[in-house]
Amino acid sequence: MQTIHDEKFASPETIRQGFQEQGFIASRQITTTAFLAYHLGKPLLVEGPAGVGKTELAKTTAAFLDLPLIRLQCYEGLDESKALYEWKYGKQLLYTQLLKDKLDSIIDRENGFAESIDKLHRYDDIFFSRHFLEPRPLLKALQQEGGAVLLVDEIDKADDEFEAFLLEILSDFQVSIPEIGTVSAITKPVVFLTSNNTRELSEALKRRCLHLFIPFPEPALERNIIRIRVPGISEKLGRQLVAFIQAVRQLEVRKAPSISETIDWARVLLILHAQELSPDLVRDTLNIFLKFEEDIAVVAERLHPLTAGAVRAAGD
Amino acid sequence: MDRVLSDFIISLRHAGVRISVSETLDALQSVRLVGYNDRETLRDALLAALPKSAPEKEIFARCFDHFFSFDYFADADATAGPDSAPVGAATDFSLTRTLLSGDRTALVMAMREAARAANLTDIQFFTQQSLYTLRILDGMGLPGLDASIQAMQANGSPGAGQQAAALEKARTFLVDNVRRYVAQQLTLNTPTAMENLLTSYLRHAKLSTLEQQHFQDMHIIIQRMVKRLNDLHSRRRKASRRGQLDFKKTLRKNITYQGFLFDLKWKKRKIERPDLVVICDVSRSVMRTVRFLLLFLYGLNKAIVRIRTFIFCSNLIEITSIFDEYPVEVAVEKIRLGADLPILMGRTDYDQSFRDFKANHLDSVSRKTTVLILGDARNNYAEAQTGILKTIYERSKRLIWLNPETPSFWGTGDSEMKKYIPFCSMVKECNTLHHLEGVVTSLVHRRH
Repeated sequence: MQTIHDEKFASPETIRQGFQEQGFIASRQITTTAFLAYHLGKPLLVEGPAGVGKTELAKTTAAFLDLPLIRLQCYEGLDESKALYEWKYGKQLLYTQLLKDKLDSIIDRENGFAESIDKLHRYDDIFFSRHFLEPRPLLKALQQEGGAVLLVDEIDKADDEFEAFLLEILSDFQVSIPEIGTVSAITKPVVFLTSNNTRELSEALKRRCLHLFIPFPEPALERNIIRIRVPGISEKLGRQLVAFIQAVRQLEVRKAPSISETIDWARVLLILHAQELSPDLVRDTLNIFLKFEEDIAVVAERLHPLTAGAVRAAGD
Repeated sequence: MDRVLSDFIISLRHAGVRISVSETLDALQSVRLVGYNDRETLRDALLAALPKSAPEKEIFARCFDHFFSFDYFADADATAGPDSAPVGAATDFSLTRTLLSGDRTALVMAMREAARAANLTDIQFFTQQSLYTLRILDGMGLPGLDASIQAMQANGSPGAGQQAAALEKARTFLVDNVRRYVAQQLTLNTPTAMENLLTSYLRHAKLSTLEQQHFQDMHIIIQRMVKRLNDLHSRRRKASRRGQLDFKKTLRKNITYQGFLFDLKWKKRKIERPDLVVICDVSRSVMRTVRFLLLFLYGLNKAIVRIRTFIFCSNLIEITSIFDEYPVEVAVEKIRLGADLPILMGRTDYDQSFRDFKANHLDSVSRKTTVLILGDARNNYAEAQTGILKTIYERSKRLIWLNPETPSFWGTGDSEMKKYIPFCSMVKECNTLHHLEGVVTSLVHRRH
């Protein structure tokens, strides 16, 4: 099916290089899983804490494969009409008004009532045809000729019913529209689902997907990410701030800082022309990577030992 | 190598990871794609295909390390090097030959093959270890080995004697390794087997006899049961939301479209959630059961049940507010200790308690209310009037009496149970978690 992309997905190693060119540093676990998901033609369910690059993975894959990224953001109450398709009610209405005058000529007054109804029946399907169909992300992804990357973001926020409804699409890559029939994918899309684990997903859904858990990165990987994403930062400062963030993650905080926050912090430090971490500097910029008042208090308390520890760790 | 994979999946299942057939197929295909060459890649591939949650991934990591540890017969060469392999009568038996040649891979393969024939993956208890060890050794051809050792010793020539000694050594080595293999397989299997046993034991154990140490486990089991009930019921609630066409509303809405009926409106059925009044005896004999009942009830989603709780001993008080203020576990503990509560822990007095209820709280019972009374109905030989209970029964939708005693004790001694029974819609014995689950299920399952 996706033979044109096979070369790009020839091995986990080529994927790693490709992703790196797109500015996404992937661990071996990520590339191997992406490799399998692509070759098995299975959706990939990505879980992990917020901000570790779940969505980024899908975006990168789209950019790497040069395919359009179709994104479906899930939320409570999301239903088929928002996710799959909707009839263009306005257009239907407008057309019926415009065609009102034609009605006389179609029905042809000479004939009896029964015959008129028969004639009308022949035009039944016009208003429920593809012309009046508004495709939403899922249908759009199936209709892309060259294939697409479909990202179903934060699936855990949607209701159980929606999850059940996704099953048909995920296993067969087709959907049933009662008025038209079954629509199958022209080219199977590459599907990513992400979840923040706010609730347990159903077994049925998990069974149909490959599963990838992205944890907080190892120090080495995180340093690498910072180097690529924030090019101007000095090697020393990069090491120090990664060590600091890693130490903060060990603390009891409500929301541990994730990669995206590390990157933000690195950018801020770059703008401030910081050369190395100092307690004062950290105190002034704590709110960049900690988003709760309590968390800031917890870290501020241990500011000196943490900073000293990070500087020491980076020195080794 | 597919057999290896399916064996591995069996041990994962034993360890508590749920793996379906389709996932097994995924794993097979993944392995075909990445091959067995690189241990780390294999691990990543299986990690994507088999376990589907963070805790499962941890179990997987442990199992993977255990299962794919190929350190058996590691020092085989030291025991019987290839150069010591002579020719003779002994070489008729393949096991003897392999042992003498020191071919480690062949030994591991033979052991796994024999283990499979002996169904080693079924091992559950440590008492079965020697049985399985024997079976595997038999399967590998130990009797043949013994025979050849004997033959050599009988031979008498110095060369044969030396060889027999070497073989003897190799035999001990072999037995050791097989034993280790069996023990390892056992550790792969046992944790969940034991856990399952314990769970089923706890479910059916009398609540009043449980040791303190099991309370933690009970909490977990209750949480699991409650979660299931919640899931089950929330789905039902959603399904019943779908109603019939609301014609009036549709017409009103579609006036804006010149009367074309485009936007259909549906009738929404209002769900009645069970309105629950719980009246609990908290004298010592019943307290433990009460504790679990409350844990259960308050574990249920607030959207599913609405509860008011009363406890009594010598008098009756309302404690709903405690549950609103504190988390369930803390609240239950507070009630158990009875601190800061205006409750008299004297003799249990059902009459007085019912009078209190009538005087202060009777308006909490309406036609929609289910009243749940938990008590052993032992009134300390005081007079027992049934009038108030009758009033409650008539006002409520249902009155369910849960008695922690077995039915044969009802009405014996100071138990007034027999007197109360006519005024209950349902009377149930309730002294194990299993009973509790049944009661709570029937509470939320009833369709209105």
